[in-house]
Amino acid sequence: MAAARCWRLVLRGPGLSLHTAAGAAVTAPEVTGPDVAAAPVARYPPLVASLTADSKAARQRRVERWQATVHAAKSVDEKLRILTKMQFMKYVVYPQTFALNADRWYQSFTKTVFLSGLPPPPPPAKPDTEPAPALDVAALRAAACDCLLQEHFFLRRKKRVPLYLEREAIASPFLDQLVASLTGLLSARNPALAAAALDCKRPVHFYWLRGEEIIPRGHRKGRVDALRYQINDKPHNQIRISKQLPEFVPLDYSVPVEVPVMNCKPDKLPLFKRQYENTIFIGTKTADPHCYGHTQFHLLPDKLKRERLLKQNCANQIEVVFRANAIASLFAWTGAQAMYQGFWSEADVTRPFVSQGVITDGKYFSFFCYQLNTLALTAQADQNNPRKNICWGTQKVTVTWNRCLS
Amino acid sequence: MALASGSARLALARPGRLGLGSCGAPRRGAYEWGVRSTRKPEPPPPDRVYEIPGLEPITYAGKMHFMPGLARPVFPPWDPGWTPPKFRRLPPLHEHPLYKDQACYVFHQRCRLLEGVKQALWLTKTKLIEGLPEKVLSLADDPRNHIENQDECVLNVIFHARLWHSTEDIPKRETYCPVIVDSLIQLCKSRSQASFSGQTDLCPNNTLSTTWNRGSTLIQVHGSSGAQLNAKDPLPPIASREEVEATKNHVLETFYPISPTVGLQECNVYDVNDDTGFREGYPYPYPHTLYLLESANLRPHRFQPDQLRAKMILFAFGNALAQARLLYGNDTKVLEQPVVVQSVGTDGRVFQFLVLQLNTTDLASDEGVKNLVWLDSDQLLYAHFWCLPVVRRKAVVEPVGPTGFQPETFRKFLALYLHGAV
Repeated sequence: MAAARCWRLVLRGPGLSLHTAAGAAVTAPEVTGPDVAAAPVARYPPLVASLTADSKAARQRRVERWQATVHAAKSVDEKLRILTKMQFMKYVVYPQTFALNADRWYQSFTKTVFLSGLPPPPPPAKPDTEPAPALDVAALRAAACDCLLQEHFFLRRKKRVPLYLEREAIASPFLDQLVASLTGLLSARNPALAAAALDCKRPVHFYWLRGEEIIPRGHRKGRVDALRYQINDKPHNQIRISKQLPEFVPLDYSVPVEVPVMNCKPDKLPLFKRQYENTIFIGTKTADPHCYGHTQFHLLPDKLKRERLLKQNCANQIEVVFRANAIASLFAWTGAQAMYQGFWSEADVTRPFVSQGVITDGKYFSFFCYQLNTLALTAQADQNNPRKNICWGTQKVTVTWNRCLS
Repeated sequence: MALASGSARLALARPGRLGLGSCGAPRRGAYEWGVRSTRKPEPPPPDRVYEIPGLEPITYAGKMHFMPGLARPVFPPWDPGWTPPKFRRLPPLHEHPLYKDQACYVFHQRCRLLEGVKQALWLTKTKLIEGLPEKVLSLADDPRNHIENQDECVLNVIFHARLWHSTEDIPKRETYCPVIVDSLIQLCKSRSQASFSGQTDLCPNNTLSTTWNRGSTLIQVHGSSGAQLNAKDPLPPIASREEVEATKNHVLETFYPISPTVGLQECNVYDVNDDTGFREGYPYPYPHTLYLLESANLRPHRFQPDQLRAKMILFAFGNALAQARLLYGNDTKVLEQPVVVQSVGTDGRVFQFLVLQLNTTDLASDEGVKNLVWLDSDQLLYAHFWCLPVVRRKAVVEPVGPTGFQPETFRKFLALYLHGAV
C-alpha cells in the first residue's frame, strides 16, 4: 500500500516530500536491475517528522498526508467529499448584497481583477470555414418586445399586482420568457446553444479557502487558521453546455491592474460566520454531460433597487451592486465547474474556465464575462502564483418601452 | 373568498360553539368582542347635568383641559372615513355587486369530479375516442420530425430531473415534475428540425373564465390551469365534416343517480363574461397546448389519473369555448371551423395526452352535433427511477437510472408540440 502510493506520487511531478523520495529510492532496486550502482541504496529508514507530535513539522506532514488523499481520490465525487467533509466556521458570502463597496471586497476574496468593457473579440474565423448566418437583429428585438409586452400588458391578471410584488410577479416571468425565446432564436447560429440545458432557479454553491487569520479567542486562540468562504447563490436562469467556452485571453495573461487588498478582516464588510454543510454545486451533479457553463441571468431583489439606493444617498453604489453580484456569482460558478473537472487549490487549472453573466433589475441590464485562471487561493498555494482571475463588465443598458414600440 | 357560498364557509368553521373549540382556542365571540383582559374600560357615565332638559351644560371643551366644576364634554362619535385593510369585513354575499339568484357551478383547478371522464364528457357534450388521431400519430412516427439522438436526450432529461438537478440524494416530486416538463418543452423547442417560431410559452398566471348552459344548469370553468402554449395560427380541425355529422347519433352517457354537478363548486357570486386571460392584440391569440402538472409530494394531494383527465378535458374545453366565442360571437351554433385545443397532463412519470375539437357551442340540449375528444391515457415515460443503486449481497442488482423507458411517449409529446406547425 505504501509502496503503491509512493510510486503514484513519484509519477505526479515536482513537490515531493522527503518521505516519498526516500521511499522511491528504497523501492527502486526492485525494478531497475542493471542500474543498481546508479541509484544509491538507502541504508536507514527515511527521517521524517512525527505524525502526532505537537509541532509545526508534524502539522505540515499531516496536511500533506491529507492532500495526498485528495490527489489519490479515484473520482471527482470522492475528491469533493474529502475537500468538503470537515465543517468549520466560514464566512457566508452573499452575491446580492447591500454592503458598501462590496465589489472591491469580493475582488480581494476571489483574487479577481475587474476590467470595464467587454473582453477582446476572438480572432476572425478561418476563411475556408463557411461564414455564420447573419444575425437577425429585428427578429431578436421583436421577440424581446413580445416578452415585455406579454408580461407588462397583454396578460390579464386577477388583481393588480402591488408595487412590492411587481418584481417577482412581472420581471421574473419576463426574464424566463426572454431567456427561453432568445435561446431558441439563436440556436440556429450557435449549435452549442441548441444542445444546451436551461435551468430555472437552480442553486449554485461554492466553498473555498483564502488567506489566514490569527484565531482571536477560544481554545485555539493565537493559532493561525485559514479563512473559509461559502457562496450559496440562486441564479434566475442559467445555460449549461457540454463543451467548454473558448478562452478570452491566455491562461497566464498578466493584467496590469492590481487586485485590491483590504486591510481589515472580512467581518467589517459586514460578513458573518456560520458553520453548515460545505457544498460545491454548479446546478447539476457531476454525472451530467452538460458540465460547463455558458451564461447566468440574475434578477436583483427589491432591496437593492435603484430608487431605494438613491433615497439612501448611495448613487455610486448602483454599479457596485451589479459588479459585486457578477464577481461573486460567476466566480462561484466557474470555480465549481473547475472543481467538477478535478482541479482544486493544490492542483490548479490547466485551462481557463470561462462564463458569462447578465444581471438585471427588470429594466437595466449589465453584461459581464468572467475568466477563471487560478483556483490556488489558499495561503500555501498562493505564495508564487502570478495568475489572477479576470472579470469584464459593462455599464447598465436600458430596455425601455420607447425602444420596443419603435 | 367572494366566491365561497354560505354553506362552504360554515363547513370550514370551527365545530362547536360552546366552550373551547376543537383546537383549544377561545370561542368565536371572544375574538369578536375581545378577551376580558384586553377589553378597554368602559367610559364614565355622563354628568347628571345632561339629564336636565332645556339646559346647556358648560363644559371644559373650549379650555382643552380638565377643570373641576365644569361638566365633562360629550363629543359626537368620530368617523375616520376609511377602515384599514386589516379590519375590513366583506359585505354579506347578498350585497355583492356580482350576486345572482341562479347558482353557478364552477370548475376550478382543484375540483375532483366524482365520475371523472364520464362526467366531464357529459358536462361538455363530448364524444370520447380512445387513442390520439392518426394525423398526430403520423407526426410522431415520421422520422423527419425526430430530434437527433432523441432517446439519449430524453434519458438525459429524465436523469437531470429525477437525480441531477438538486443537491439532495432523492429529489422530491414538487421539484422534479416542473423540471421534467420544462426540459421536455425546451428539448422540443430547441432541437426540432421543423423551424417555426409561431409559438410562445406562458407562465401559469393566466386566468381563464368561460360560462355555458347545460340544460338548466349554468357551468363555469374558472382559474389557471398551468403552463399554456399559444400559437399565431389556429390548429387545423382533425375530424372531417362527415365524422362531425355522425356524432349526432351518439348518446351521452348519464350516471343517474349521481348529479352531473357533483364535485363542482356551487356559488351565487360569479361573472358571466368570458375571459381568455389575454387582452386584444396579443400576437399569439390561439391556445395550442395546456400542460397540467400534478406535482404534490403526497399521493392523497395529487389527482387520480381519471380526475386529471377530467380536469384536462374541462380546461381544454374552456379555452376552446372562450376562443370560439371570441372569433364567432356569443350565439349558440354549430361551428363551421371547429376549434382544436390540446392538453398534456402528467405527474412526472405518467403522461395523459388529449386533443379536443369543439364543433358546437349549442350545449343546452343533449341532441345535435357533439364535440370530439381523442384521449391517450396512462402513457408511462419510464416505469421507475432508481436514485441509488440497489445492491444485494455486494452485487449491483439495479443500476442508477430509469427502468422501463418508453421512447414512444416522448414521440407523442413531440408530435403534440409540432402539430399545427408541420
